[in-house]
Amino acid sequence: MKTLIIEKIEPKRIGELVTVGRILGETPDLLALGEGEVPGTYPRAYQCPETIAANLVDGVADLIQRDGYQVVLLSATTLGSEIAGRLGARLKAPVLSEVIEVKPDMTVKRPLYGGKAVAEYKIQGNPVILTIRRKYFEPAPLEGTTAAAVFNVESPSVVLLSEEQVQTQGVRLEDAEIIVSGGRGMGSADNFEVLREMAGLLRGAVGASRGAVDEGWASQTMQVGQTGNIVAPAVYFAVGISGASQHLAGIANAKCVVAVNKDEEANIFKRARFGVVCDYHKFIPALIQALREEQ
Amino acid sequence: MKIAVLAKVVPDYEVPAGDFELAGNRAHARYTRMIGLYDENAIETGIQLKEKYGATLGIVSYGQSEDVPILRKAIAMGGDSLHLVLGESDDPYVIASNLKIALEQLQDVDLVLAGQQSADLDRGVVHGVLAEMLGCTFLAQISRIESDQGRWTVCQNHESGSRMLQFSGKAVLSITSSPENVPRIPAVRAIMAAKKKPVEKLQGTDAPPMQVEEVKVEIPKLESVCEFLPFEDMQETSRMLLARLREERYL
Ligand SMILES: Cc1cc2nc3c(=O)[nH]c(=O)nc-3n(C[C@H](O)[C@H](O)[C@H](O)COP(=O)(O)OP(=O)(O)OC[C@H]3O[C@@H](n4cnc5c(N)ncnc54)[C@H](O)[C@@H]3O)c2cc1C
Ligand SMILES: Nc1ncnc2c1ncn2[C@@H]1O[C@H](COP(=O)(O)O)[C@@H](O)[C@H]1O
Repeated sequence: MKTLIIEKIEPKRIGELVTVGRILGETPDLLALGEGEVPGTYPRAYQCPETIAANLVDGVADLIQRDGYQVVLLSATTLGSEIAGRLGARLKAPVLSEVIEVKPDMTVKRPLYGGKAVAEYKIQGNPVILTIRRKYFEPAPLEGTTAAAVFNVESPSVVLLSEEQVQTQGVRLEDAEIIVSGGRGMGSADNFEVLREMAGLLRGAVGASRGAVDEGWASQTMQVGQTGNIVAPAVYFAVGISGASQHLAGIANAKCVVAVNKDEEANIFKRARFGVVCDYHKFIPALIQALREEQ
Repeated sequence: MKIAVLAKVVPDYEVPAGDFELAGNRAHARYTRMIGLYDENAIETGIQLKEKYGATLGIVSYGQSEDVPILRKAIAMGGDSLHLVLGESDDPYVIASNLKIALEQLQDVDLVLAGQQSADLDRGVVHGVLAEMLGCTFLAQISRIESDQGRWTVCQNHESGSRMLQFSGKAVLSITSSPENVPRIPAVRAIMAAKKKPVEKLQGTDAPPMQVEEVKVEIPKLESVCEFLPFEDMQETSRMLLARLREERYL
Protein backbone atom coordinates (compact mmCIF):
# COMPACT_ATOMS: atom_id res chain seq x y z
CA MET A 1 0.00 0.00 0.00
CA LYS A 2 1.42 3.35 -0.99
CA THR A 3 1.07 5.33 2.21
CA LEU A 4 1.45 8.99 3.16
CA ILE A 5 1.81 10.20 6.73
CA ILE A 6 0.69 13.75 7.47
CA GLU A 7 1.95 14.88 10.86
CA LYS A 8 3.56 17.72 12.76
CA ILE A 9 7.29 17.40 13.42
CA GLU A 10 6.93 15.42 16.63
CA PRO A 11 9.05 12.26 16.59
CA LYS A 12 6.78 10.13 18.78
CA ARG A 13 3.68 10.90 16.76
CA ILE A 14 5.47 10.32 13.46
CA GLY A 15 7.06 7.15 14.88
CA GLU A 16 3.68 5.67 15.79
CA LEU A 17 2.40 6.36 12.28
CA VAL A 18 5.54 4.82 10.70
CA THR A 19 4.80 1.67 12.71
CA VAL A 20 1.23 1.57 11.36
CA GLY A 21 2.46 2.28 7.83
CA ARG A 22 4.90 -0.65 8.02
CA ILE A 23 2.05 -3.01 8.96
CA LEU A 24 0.48 -2.12 5.62
CA GLY A 25 3.65 -2.13 3.50
CA GLU A 26 7.01 -0.43 3.14
CA THR A 27 8.11 2.65 5.08
CA PRO A 28 5.61 5.37 4.19
CA ASP A 29 6.26 8.79 2.72
CA LEU A 30 5.87 11.81 4.99
CA LEU A 31 4.38 15.27 4.77
CA ALA A 32 5.96 16.95 7.81
CA LEU A 33 4.20 20.05 9.13
CA GLY A 34 6.05 22.81 10.93
CA GLU A 35 9.58 24.16 11.08
CA GLY A 36 12.85 22.35 11.82
CA GLU A 37 14.62 19.22 10.65
CA VAL A 38 12.54 16.28 9.50
CA PRO A 39 13.44 13.29 11.73
CA GLY A 40 13.73 9.79 10.23
CA THR A 41 14.27 8.54 6.69
CA TYR A 42 11.54 8.10 4.11
CA PRO A 43 11.39 7.23 0.41
CA ARG A 44 9.95 10.73 -0.09
CA ALA A 45 9.41 13.55 2.34
CA TYR A 46 7.73 16.92 1.98
CA GLN A 47 7.72 19.75 4.46
CA CYS A 48 5.28 22.58 4.98
CA PRO A 49 5.43 25.22 7.74
CA GLU A 50 1.62 25.45 7.84
CA THR A 51 -0.20 23.66 10.67
CA ILE A 52 -3.74 24.96 10.08
CA ALA A 53 -5.53 22.02 8.52
CA ALA A 54 -8.11 24.18 6.76
CA ASN A 55 -5.30 25.67 4.68
CA LEU A 56 -3.75 22.32 3.83
CA VAL A 57 -6.65 20.31 2.41
CA ASP A 58 -6.46 21.57 -1.20
CA GLY A 59 -2.74 20.93 -1.58
CA VAL A 60 -2.83 17.61 0.24
CA ALA A 61 -5.73 16.35 -1.89
CA ASP A 62 -3.77 17.24 -5.06
CA LEU A 63 -0.66 15.48 -3.76
CA ILE A 64 -2.58 12.30 -2.93
CA GLN A 65 -4.21 12.20 -6.34
CA ARG A 66 -1.04 13.07 -8.23
CA ASP A 67 1.15 10.47 -6.49
CA GLY A 68 -1.55 7.83 -6.15
CA TYR A 69 -1.41 7.32 -2.38
CA GLN A 70 -3.69 4.51 -1.24
CA VAL A 71 -3.54 5.14 2.51
CA VAL A 72 -3.28 8.44 4.38
CA LEU A 73 -2.29 8.22 8.05
CA LEU A 74 -2.88 10.95 10.61
CA SER A 75 -2.89 10.90 14.41
CA ALA A 76 -6.27 11.21 16.08
CA THR A 77 -5.50 14.73 17.27
CA THR A 78 -7.04 18.15 16.61
CA LEU A 79 -5.06 18.40 13.38
CA GLY A 80 -5.99 14.87 12.32
CA SER A 81 -9.70 15.36 12.89
CA GLU A 82 -9.58 18.71 11.14
CA ILE A 83 -8.10 17.21 7.97
CA ALA A 84 -9.64 13.72 7.83
CA GLY A 85 -13.33 14.40 7.16
CA ARG A 86 -12.77 17.13 4.59
CA LEU A 87 -10.03 15.23 2.80
CA GLY A 88 -12.15 12.08 2.74
CA ALA A 89 -15.12 13.92 1.26
CA ARG A 90 -12.87 15.62 -1.32
CA LEU A 91 -11.38 12.29 -2.44
CA LYS A 92 -14.60 10.30 -1.93
CA ALA A 93 -12.50 8.08 0.31
CA PRO A 94 -13.51 6.08 3.39
CA VAL A 95 -12.54 7.77 6.65
CA LEU A 96 -12.05 5.81 9.86
CA SER A 97 -11.04 7.72 12.96
CA GLU A 98 -9.52 6.76 16.32
CA VAL A 99 -8.19 3.47 14.94
CA ILE A 100 -6.55 1.21 17.56
CA GLU A 101 -5.65 -1.88 15.51
CA VAL A 102 -4.56 -2.32 11.89
CA LYS A 103 -3.98 -5.57 9.97
CA PRO A 104 -2.16 -6.01 6.64
CA ASP A 105 -5.41 -7.13 4.94
CA MET A 106 -6.88 -3.69 5.66
CA THR A 107 -9.06 -4.69 8.56
CA VAL A 108 -9.01 -2.11 11.32
CA LYS A 109 -10.59 -1.74 14.73
CA ARG A 110 -11.91 1.33 16.46
CA PRO A 111 -13.82 1.83 19.72
CA LEU A 112 -17.49 2.84 19.90
CA TYR A 113 -19.65 3.98 22.80
CA GLY A 114 -16.80 5.49 24.78
CA GLY A 115 -14.79 2.28 24.50
CA LYS A 116 -17.60 0.06 25.78
CA ALA A 117 -17.53 -1.70 22.41
CA VAL A 118 -14.98 -2.21 19.65
CA ALA A 119 -15.91 -2.41 15.97
CA GLU A 120 -13.96 -4.17 13.24
CA TYR A 121 -14.08 -2.85 9.68
CA LYS A 122 -12.86 -4.21 6.39
CA ILE A 123 -11.85 -1.37 4.11
CA GLN A 124 -12.73 -1.90 0.48
CA GLY A 125 -12.10 1.35 -1.32
CA ASN A 126 -8.96 3.39 -1.67
CA PRO A 127 -7.53 5.85 -0.98
CA VAL A 128 -8.50 5.52 2.66
CA ILE A 129 -7.98 8.08 5.41
CA LEU A 130 -7.18 6.74 8.88
CA THR A 131 -6.66 8.67 12.08
CA ILE A 132 -4.74 6.59 14.61
CA ARG A 133 -5.38 6.84 18.33
CA ARG A 134 -2.23 7.80 20.20
CA LYS A 135 -0.30 5.32 22.34
CA TYR A 136 -1.65 2.14 20.75
CA PHE A 137 1.36 1.57 18.46
CA GLU A 138 4.96 1.50 19.60
CA PRO A 139 6.72 4.47 17.93
CA ALA A 140 9.31 3.32 15.38
CA PRO A 141 12.71 4.82 16.18
CA LEU A 142 13.44 7.61 13.70
CA GLU A 143 17.07 7.59 12.64
CA GLY A 144 18.81 10.44 10.85
CA THR A 145 17.01 13.25 9.10
CA THR A 146 15.58 13.65 5.62
CA ALA A 147 16.01 16.58 3.27
CA ALA A 148 12.38 17.26 2.46
CA ALA A 149 10.91 18.86 -0.66
CA VAL A 150 9.09 22.12 -0.03
CA PHE A 151 5.30 21.83 0.02
CA ASN A 152 3.56 25.13 -0.54
CA VAL A 153 0.15 26.28 0.60
CA GLU A 154 -1.63 28.49 -1.86
CA SER A 155 -4.16 31.15 -0.77
CA PRO A 156 -4.72 30.20 2.89
CA SER A 157 -8.23 31.02 4.07
CA VAL A 158 -7.67 30.86 7.82
CA VAL A 159 -5.24 33.20 9.59
CA LEU A 160 -3.41 32.45 12.82
CA LEU A 161 -3.74 35.46 15.17
CA SER A 162 -2.01 34.09 18.24
CA GLU A 163 -0.90 30.86 19.80
CA GLU A 164 -0.74 29.97 23.46
CA GLN A 165 1.22 26.89 24.49
CA VAL A 166 0.34 25.84 28.00
CA GLN A 167 3.63 25.61 29.87
CA THR A 168 3.89 22.42 31.82
CA GLN A 169 6.37 22.44 34.64
CA GLY A 170 8.37 19.24 34.69
CA VAL A 171 7.31 16.17 32.74
CA ARG A 172 4.90 16.39 29.78
CA LEU A 173 1.64 14.58 30.43
CA GLU A 174 1.84 12.48 27.28
CA ASP A 175 5.39 11.31 28.07
CA ALA A 176 4.95 10.85 31.82
CA GLU A 177 5.64 7.47 33.39
CA ILE A 178 3.66 8.52 36.47
CA ILE A 179 0.45 10.54 36.30
CA VAL A 180 -1.59 11.87 39.19
CA SER A 181 -5.05 12.82 37.96
CA GLY A 182 -7.88 14.57 39.77
CA GLY A 183 -11.60 14.56 39.03
CA ARG A 184 -14.74 16.33 40.13
CA GLY A 185 -14.27 14.73 43.53
CA MET A 186 -11.34 17.13 44.12
CA GLY A 187 -13.91 19.80 44.97
CA SER A 188 -11.96 22.90 43.87
CA ALA A 189 -9.07 24.21 41.78
CA ASP A 190 -7.05 24.90 44.92
CA ASN A 191 -7.27 21.28 45.95
CA PHE A 192 -5.27 20.31 42.85
CA GLU A 193 -2.24 21.70 44.68
CA VAL A 194 -1.85 18.45 46.66
CA LEU A 195 -1.81 16.50 43.39
CA ARG A 196 0.92 18.80 42.04
CA GLU A 197 2.93 18.24 45.18
CA MET A 198 2.49 14.48 44.91
CA ALA A 199 3.37 14.46 41.20
CA GLY A 200 6.47 16.55 41.97
CA LEU A 201 7.70 14.00 44.51
CA LEU A 202 7.09 11.16 42.05
CA ARG A 203 8.59 13.10 39.11
CA GLY A 204 5.28 12.67 37.33
CA ALA A 205 2.67 14.88 35.66
CA VAL A 206 -0.77 16.06 36.77
CA GLY A 207 -3.84 15.14 34.73
CA ALA A 208 -7.57 15.67 35.11
CA SER A 209 -10.93 14.22 34.14
CA ARG A 210 -13.35 16.08 31.93
CA GLY A 211 -15.43 16.65 35.06
CA ALA A 212 -12.61 18.69 36.62
CA VAL A 213 -11.84 20.51 33.35
CA ASP A 214 -15.49 21.48 32.88
CA GLU A 215 -15.52 22.88 36.41
CA GLY A 216 -12.61 25.09 35.38
CA TRP A 217 -10.29 23.52 37.98
CA ALA A 218 -7.78 22.21 35.44
CA SER A 219 -6.77 23.32 31.96
CA GLN A 220 -8.11 21.42 28.99
CA THR A 221 -4.57 20.37 28.05
CA MET A 222 -4.55 18.33 31.27
CA GLN A 223 -7.63 16.32 30.31
CA VAL A 224 -7.11 12.58 30.11
CA GLY A 225 -9.56 10.46 28.16
CA GLN A 226 -11.11 9.77 24.83
CA THR A 227 -11.38 13.45 23.95
CA GLY A 228 -8.33 14.52 25.92
CA ASN A 229 -4.86 13.04 26.16
CA ILE A 230 -4.42 9.35 25.56
CA VAL A 231 -1.72 8.30 28.00
CA ALA A 232 0.19 5.11 28.79
CA PRO A 233 2.07 5.64 32.07
CA ALA A 234 3.47 2.92 34.33
CA VAL A 235 1.33 4.20 37.21
CA TYR A 236 -1.87 6.24 36.93
CA PHE A 237 -3.35 7.63 40.14
CA ALA A 238 -7.06 8.46 39.72
CA VAL A 239 -8.19 10.67 42.59
CA GLY A 240 -11.89 11.56 42.89
CA ILE A 241 -12.57 10.22 39.40
CA SER A 242 -15.62 7.99 38.89
CA GLY A 243 -14.15 6.02 35.99
CA ALA A 244 -16.56 6.80 33.15
CA SER A 245 -15.79 4.70 30.08
CA GLN A 246 -14.68 7.80 28.16
CA HIS A 247 -12.10 8.52 30.85
CA LEU A 248 -10.91 4.91 30.93
CA ALA A 249 -10.52 5.05 27.14
CA GLY A 250 -7.61 7.43 27.75
CA ILE A 251 -5.78 5.09 30.12
CA ALA A 252 -6.37 1.75 28.40
CA ASN A 253 -2.61 1.25 28.09
CA ALA A 254 -1.67 2.40 31.59
CA LYS A 255 0.17 -0.47 33.29
CA CYS A 256 -1.10 0.06 36.84
CA VAL A 257 -4.05 2.17 37.98
CA VAL A 258 -4.36 3.25 41.62
CA ALA A 259 -7.84 4.56 42.47
CA VAL A 260 -8.74 6.75 45.42
CA ASN A 261 -12.47 7.25 45.70
CA LYS A 262 -14.86 7.51 48.62
CA ASP A 263 -17.53 5.49 46.78
CA GLU A 264 -16.69 1.80 46.88
CA GLU A 265 -19.07 1.21 43.95
CA ALA A 266 -17.21 3.67 41.69
CA ASN A 267 -16.45 2.18 38.27
CA ILE A 268 -12.78 3.19 38.49
CA PHE A 269 -12.19 0.24 40.85
CA LYS A 270 -13.06 -2.12 37.99
CA ARG A 271 -10.01 -0.83 36.11
CA ALA A 272 -7.74 -0.33 39.12
CA ARG A 273 -4.98 -2.64 40.31
CA PHE A 274 -4.97 -1.03 43.75
CA GLY A 275 -7.91 0.73 45.39
CA VAL A 276 -8.29 2.91 48.47
CA VAL A 277 -11.90 3.60 49.46
CA CYS A 278 -11.76 6.88 51.38
CA ASP A 279 -11.91 10.65 51.24
CA TYR A 280 -8.79 11.72 49.35
CA HIS A 281 -8.24 14.51 51.91
CA LYS A 282 -7.20 11.79 54.34
CA PHE A 283 -5.13 9.62 52.03
CA ILE A 284 -3.19 11.93 49.70
CA PRO A 285 -1.50 13.95 52.49
CA ALA A 286 -0.48 10.65 54.13
CA LEU A 287 0.94 9.42 50.81
CA ILE A 288 2.84 12.69 50.35
CA GLN A 289 4.23 12.26 53.86
CA ALA A 290 5.34 8.70 53.05
CA LEU A 291 7.03 9.88 49.85
CA ARG A 292 8.85 12.62 51.75
CA GLU A 293 10.08 10.15 54.35
CA GLU A 294 11.57 8.04 51.58
CA GLN A 295 13.60 10.91 50.16
CA MET B 1 -27.02 36.11 11.37
CA LYS B 2 -28.32 32.60 10.95
CA ILE B 3 -26.86 29.72 12.95
CA ALA B 4 -27.62 26.02 12.78
CA VAL B 5 -26.59 23.49 15.40
CA LEU B 6 -26.29 19.80 14.57
CA ALA B 7 -27.65 17.65 17.37
CA LYS B 8 -27.73 13.87 17.42
CA VAL B 9 -29.84 11.75 19.74
CA VAL B 10 -27.80 8.88 21.21
CA PRO B 11 -28.19 6.13 23.81
CA ASP B 12 -27.26 7.13 27.39
CA TYR B 13 -23.50 7.62 27.25
CA GLU B 14 -23.13 7.32 31.01
CA VAL B 15 -24.12 3.64 31.17
CA PRO B 16 -21.14 1.98 32.90
CA ALA B 17 -19.19 -0.63 30.93
CA GLY B 18 -20.41 -3.43 33.19
CA ASP B 19 -24.07 -2.74 32.27
CA PHE B 20 -23.48 -2.20 28.58
CA GLU B 21 -25.19 -4.56 26.16
CA LEU B 22 -25.37 -4.77 22.40
CA ALA B 23 -28.29 -5.80 20.21
CA GLY B 24 -26.71 -6.68 16.90
CA ASN B 25 -23.92 -4.20 16.27
CA ARG B 26 -25.41 -1.28 18.23
CA ALA B 27 -26.29 -0.37 21.82
CA HIS B 28 -29.37 -2.18 23.09
CA ALA B 29 -32.59 -0.20 22.58
CA ARG B 30 -33.37 -0.29 26.30
CA TYR B 31 -31.07 2.62 27.13
CA THR B 32 -32.54 6.08 27.64
CA ARG B 33 -31.93 8.32 24.65
CA MET B 34 -30.49 11.80 24.98
CA ILE B 35 -28.77 14.57 23.05
CA GLY B 36 -25.02 13.91 22.72
CA LEU B 37 -22.80 15.55 25.32
CA TYR B 38 -20.73 17.72 22.95
CA ASP B 39 -23.81 18.54 20.89
CA GLU B 40 -25.23 20.15 24.04
CA ASN B 41 -22.06 22.25 24.30
CA ALA B 42 -22.63 23.28 20.68
CA ILE B 43 -26.26 24.19 21.43
CA GLU B 44 -25.15 26.29 24.40
CA THR B 45 -22.54 28.05 22.26
CA GLY B 46 -25.23 28.70 19.62
CA ILE B 47 -27.59 30.20 22.20
CA GLN B 48 -24.85 32.48 23.48
CA LEU B 49 -24.22 33.72 19.93
CA LYS B 50 -27.95 34.24 19.48
CA GLU B 51 -28.06 36.31 22.66
CA LYS B 52 -24.97 38.32 21.72
CA TYR B 53 -25.65 39.00 18.05
CA GLY B 54 -29.42 38.56 17.74
CA ALA B 55 -28.97 35.52 15.54
CA THR B 56 -31.63 32.94 14.72
CA LEU B 57 -30.84 29.42 15.81
CA GLY B 58 -32.08 26.30 14.01
CA ILE B 59 -31.52 22.83 15.47
CA VAL B 60 -30.85 20.24 12.78
CA SER B 61 -30.84 16.49 13.26
CA TYR B 62 -30.84 13.31 11.20
CA GLY B 63 -32.65 10.44 12.86
CA GLN B 64 -36.05 9.06 13.67
CA SER B 65 -39.42 10.61 14.56
CA GLU B 66 -39.07 9.18 18.10
CA ASP B 67 -36.16 11.57 18.63
CA VAL B 68 -38.40 14.65 18.45
CA PRO B 69 -39.40 14.79 22.17
CA ILE B 70 -35.71 14.50 23.11
CA LEU B 71 -34.60 17.15 20.63
CA ARG B 72 -37.16 19.57 22.05
CA LYS B 73 -34.74 20.13 24.93
CA ALA B 74 -32.61 22.12 22.46
CA ILE B 75 -35.59 24.39 21.78
CA ALA B 76 -36.29 24.73 25.49
CA MET B 77 -32.64 25.76 25.99
CA GLY B 78 -33.07 28.55 23.43
CA GLY B 79 -33.21 27.18 19.88
CA ASP B 80 -35.79 28.75 17.56
CA SER B 81 -36.76 25.86 15.33
CA LEU B 82 -36.25 22.11 14.90
CA HIS B 83 -35.53 20.38 11.60
CA LEU B 84 -35.34 16.61 11.49
CA VAL B 85 -34.28 14.66 8.42
CA LEU B 86 -35.65 11.14 8.67
CA GLY B 87 -33.24 8.25 8.25
CA GLU B 88 -31.35 5.49 10.00
CA SER B 89 -27.88 5.33 8.50
CA ASP B 90 -24.73 5.47 10.61
CA ASP B 91 -22.50 6.21 7.63
CA PRO B 92 -20.83 9.65 7.91
CA TYR B 93 -21.33 10.40 4.19
CA VAL B 94 -25.02 9.49 4.29
CA ILE B 95 -25.54 11.49 7.48
CA ALA B 96 -23.72 14.55 6.11
CA SER B 97 -25.67 14.42 2.83
CA ASN B 98 -28.92 14.34 4.77
CA LEU B 99 -27.94 17.13 7.15
CA LYS B 100 -27.08 19.16 4.07
CA ILE B 101 -30.69 18.82 2.87
CA ALA B 102 -31.99 20.48 6.04
CA LEU B 103 -29.32 23.20 5.95
CA GLU B 104 -30.19 24.06 2.36
CA GLN B 105 -33.84 24.24 3.30
CA LEU B 106 -32.94 26.70 6.10
CA GLN B 107 -31.20 28.88 3.47
CA ASP B 108 -28.21 31.16 3.97
CA VAL B 109 -26.93 29.65 7.18
CA ASP B 110 -23.82 31.61 8.20
CA LEU B 111 -22.43 29.21 10.73
CA VAL B 112 -23.03 25.52 11.42
CA LEU B 113 -22.02 24.32 14.88
CA ALA B 114 -21.52 20.63 15.63
CA GLY B 115 -20.37 18.69 18.65
CA GLN B 116 -16.71 17.67 18.74
CA GLN B 117 -17.84 14.08 18.32
CA SER B 118 -21.05 12.09 18.55
CA ALA B 119 -21.52 10.45 21.94
CA ASP B 120 -22.25 6.99 20.50
CA LEU B 121 -19.92 6.44 17.54
CA ASP B 122 -17.23 8.80 18.93
CA ARG B 123 -16.04 9.61 15.47
CA GLY B 124 -15.51 13.31 14.82
CA VAL B 125 -15.91 12.91 11.07
CA VAL B 126 -19.42 13.99 10.03
CA HIS B 127 -18.81 17.73 10.48
CA GLY B 128 -15.69 17.79 8.31
CA VAL B 129 -17.40 15.78 5.58
CA LEU B 130 -20.36 18.16 5.71
CA ALA B 131 -18.13 21.24 5.47
CA GLU B 132 -16.55 19.84 2.32
CA MET B 133 -19.98 19.08 0.85
CA LEU B 134 -21.06 22.64 1.61
CA GLY B 135 -17.76 24.00 0.27
CA CYS B 136 -17.00 26.00 3.39
CA THR B 137 -14.32 26.33 6.07
CA PHE B 138 -14.06 23.69 8.77
CA LEU B 139 -12.31 24.12 12.10
CA ALA B 140 -12.22 21.56 14.91
CA GLN B 141 -12.41 21.90 18.69
CA ILE B 142 -13.56 25.49 18.93
CA SER B 143 -14.33 26.86 22.38
CA ARG B 144 -15.13 30.56 21.70
CA ILE B 145 -16.55 32.46 18.73
CA GLU B 146 -16.75 36.16 17.99
CA SER B 147 -18.11 37.95 14.94
CA ASP B 148 -16.59 41.19 13.73
CA GLN B 149 -17.69 42.89 10.50
CA GLY B 150 -18.15 39.74 8.48
CA ARG B 151 -15.13 38.02 9.98
CA TRP B 152 -15.08 35.32 12.61
CA THR B 153 -12.47 35.08 15.34
CA VAL B 154 -12.43 31.74 17.10
CA CYS B 155 -10.44 30.02 19.82
CA GLN B 156 -9.29 26.50 19.09
CA ASN B 157 -8.28 24.20 21.95
CA HIS B 158 -5.71 21.61 20.97
CA GLU B 159 -3.56 19.09 22.82
CA SER B 160 -0.84 21.48 23.90
CA GLY B 161 -2.68 24.78 24.27
CA SER B 162 -4.98 27.03 22.32
CA ARG B 163 -4.86 29.43 19.40
CA MET B 164 -6.90 32.27 17.98
CA LEU B 165 -7.85 31.88 14.33
CA GLN B 166 -9.64 34.23 11.97
CA PHE B 167 -11.54 33.67 8.74
CA SER B 168 -14.37 35.13 6.65
CA GLY B 169 -17.39 33.49 5.14
CA LYS B 170 -19.43 30.45 5.97
CA ALA B 171 -18.09 27.68 8.17
CA VAL B 172 -18.79 24.48 10.01
CA LEU B 173 -17.19 24.45 13.47
CA SER B 174 -16.88 21.53 15.83
CA ILE B 175 -17.40 22.68 19.40
CA THR B 176 -15.46 21.38 22.34
CA SER B 177 -16.50 21.75 25.96
CA SER B 178 -15.21 24.56 28.12
CA PRO B 179 -16.31 26.11 31.41
CA GLU B 180 -18.04 28.83 29.31
CA ASN B 181 -20.32 26.50 27.37
CA VAL B 182 -21.63 24.19 30.09
CA PRO B 183 -25.18 23.51 28.83
CA ARG B 184 -27.86 25.52 30.62
CA ILE B 185 -30.76 23.70 32.25
CA PRO B 186 -34.00 24.89 30.65
CA ALA B 187 -36.71 26.40 32.88
CA VAL B 188 -39.99 24.49 33.26
CA ARG B 189 -41.87 27.23 31.39
CA ALA B 190 -39.45 26.95 28.48
CA ILE B 191 -39.87 23.16 28.44
CA MET B 192 -43.66 23.56 28.23
CA ALA B 193 -43.37 26.20 25.50
CA ALA B 194 -40.98 23.99 23.51
CA LYS B 195 -43.62 21.26 23.31
CA LYS B 196 -45.78 23.54 21.21
CA LYS B 197 -43.12 24.55 18.70
CA PRO B 198 -43.62 23.06 15.23
CA VAL B 199 -41.10 20.54 13.97
CA GLU B 200 -40.12 20.36 10.35
CA LYS B 201 -39.66 16.78 9.23
CA LEU B 202 -37.87 16.17 5.97
CA GLN B 203 -37.64 12.99 3.97
CA GLY B 204 -34.11 11.60 3.92
CA THR B 205 -32.15 10.64 0.83
CA ASP B 206 -30.08 7.57 -0.11
CA ALA B 207 -26.61 9.00 -0.56
CA PRO B 208 -23.68 6.69 -1.39
CA PRO B 209 -22.01 5.35 1.79
CA MET B 210 -18.26 4.83 2.18
CA GLN B 211 -16.71 1.63 0.91
CA VAL B 212 -16.24 -0.05 4.25
CA GLU B 213 -17.79 -3.20 5.65
CA GLU B 214 -18.55 -3.33 9.36
CA VAL B 215 -17.46 -6.90 10.12
CA LYS B 216 -18.39 -7.10 13.79
CA VAL B 217 -18.84 -5.17 17.02
CA GLU B 218 -17.81 -6.71 20.32
CA ILE B 219 -17.71 -5.75 23.97
CA PRO B 220 -14.13 -6.01 25.23
CA LYS B 221 -13.66 -8.08 28.37
CA LEU B 222 -12.95 -6.05 31.47
CA GLU B 223 -11.01 -8.10 33.99
CA SER B 224 -11.32 -6.70 37.46
CA VAL B 225 -8.31 -7.41 39.66
CA CYS B 226 -8.50 -4.59 42.20
CA GLU B 227 -6.74 -5.17 45.48
CA PHE B 228 -8.40 -2.97 48.08
CA LEU B 229 -5.99 -1.60 50.66
CA PRO B 230 -7.02 -1.15 54.30
CA PHE B 231 -8.12 2.37 55.25
CA GLU B 232 -7.85 2.39 59.05
CA ASP B 233 -4.32 3.82 59.22
CA MET B 234 -3.53 6.01 56.24
CA GLN B 235 0.21 6.26 56.99
CA GLU B 236 0.44 2.50 57.00
CA THR B 237 -1.67 2.18 53.83
CA SER B 238 0.52 4.74 52.05
CA ARG B 239 3.69 2.86 52.89
CA MET B 240 2.07 -0.41 51.89
CA LEU B 241 0.97 1.01 48.52
CA LEU B 242 4.44 2.35 47.72
CA ALA B 243 5.98 -0.98 48.71
CA ARG B 244 3.55 -2.91 46.51
CA LEU B 245 4.15 -0.59 43.53
CA ARG B 246 7.90 -1.17 43.89
CA GLU B 247 7.51 -4.90 44.40
CA GLU B 248 5.60 -5.17 41.13
CA ARG B 249 8.12 -2.87 39.46
CA TYR B 250 5.70 -0.12 38.54
CA LEU B 251 7.76 2.48 40.39
C1 LIG C 1 -18.25 11.84 23.74
C2 LIG C 1 -17.74 11.96 25.15
C3 LIG C 1 -16.39 12.17 25.37
C4 LIG C 1 -15.89 12.27 26.67
N1 LIG C 1 -14.53 12.42 26.86
C5 LIG C 1 -14.02 12.42 28.12
C6 LIG C 1 -12.61 12.50 28.35
O1 LIG C 1 -11.81 12.61 27.42
N2 LIG C 1 -12.16 12.46 29.63
C7 LIG C 1 -13.00 12.36 30.71
O2 LIG C 1 -12.53 12.33 31.85
N3 LIG C 1 -14.34 12.30 30.51
C8 LIG C 1 -14.87 12.34 29.24
N4 LIG C 1 -16.24 12.31 29.08
C9 LIG C 1 -17.11 12.52 30.26
C10 LIG C 1 -17.35 11.30 31.11
O3 LIG C 1 -18.50 10.64 30.62
C11 LIG C 1 -17.64 11.72 32.59
O4 LIG C 1 -18.70 12.63 32.62
C12 LIG C 1 -16.42 12.35 33.29
O5 LIG C 1 -15.26 11.55 33.10
C13 LIG C 1 -16.72 12.49 34.77
O6 LIG C 1 -15.65 13.11 35.46
P1 LIG C 1 -15.35 12.77 37.00
O7 LIG C 1 -15.10 11.31 37.14
O8 LIG C 1 -14.30 13.69 37.46
O9 LIG C 1 -16.70 13.22 37.72
P2 LIG C 1 -17.83 12.41 38.44
O10 LIG C 1 -18.39 11.35 37.56
O11 LIG C 1 -18.75 13.42 39.01
O12 LIG C 1 -17.07 11.63 39.62
C14 LIG C 1 -16.55 12.23 40.77
C15 LIG C 1 -16.06 11.09 41.68
O13 LIG C 1 -15.39 11.65 42.80
C16 LIG C 1 -15.70 10.87 43.95
N5 LIG C 1 -15.48 11.74 45.11
C17 LIG C 1 -16.20 12.83 45.48
N6 LIG C 1 -15.63 13.42 46.57
C18 LIG C 1 -14.54 12.67 46.89
C19 LIG C 1 -13.56 12.76 47.91
N7 LIG C 1 -13.58 13.76 48.82
N8 LIG C 1 -12.60 11.82 47.96
C20 LIG C 1 -12.55 10.80 47.06
N9 LIG C 1 -13.47 10.68 46.06
C21 LIG C 1 -14.44 11.60 45.98
C22 LIG C 1 -17.13 10.46 43.74
O14 LIG C 1 -17.42 9.28 44.49
C23 LIG C 1 -17.17 10.21 42.23
O15 LIG C 1 -16.89 8.86 41.92
C24 LIG C 1 -16.76 12.20 27.78
C25 LIG C 1 -18.11 11.98 27.56
C26 LIG C 1 -18.61 11.86 26.27
C27 LIG C 1 -20.07 11.60 26.08
N1 LIG D 1 -27.45 11.98 12.96
C1 LIG D 1 -26.96 13.19 13.25
N2 LIG D 1 -27.81 14.24 13.43
C2 LIG D 1 -27.33 15.46 13.75
N3 LIG D 1 -26.04 15.75 13.87
C3 LIG D 1 -25.16 14.75 13.70
C4 LIG D 1 -25.56 13.43 13.38
N4 LIG D 1 -24.44 12.67 13.29
C5 LIG D 1 -23.40 13.48 13.55
N5 LIG D 1 -23.82 14.74 13.80
C6 LIG D 1 -23.01 15.93 14.17
O1 LIG D 1 -21.66 15.73 13.81
C7 LIG D 1 -20.83 15.63 14.99
C8 LIG D 1 -19.75 14.60 14.74
O2 LIG D 1 -20.34 13.33 14.53
P1 LIG D 1 -19.48 12.00 14.40
O3 LIG D 1 -18.65 12.11 13.19
O4 LIG D 1 -20.48 10.88 14.32
O5 LIG D 1 -18.66 11.91 15.65
C9 LIG D 1 -21.80 15.30 16.12
O6 LIG D 1 -21.32 15.73 17.37
C10 LIG D 1 -23.04 16.07 15.70
O7 LIG D 1 -22.94 17.45 16.01
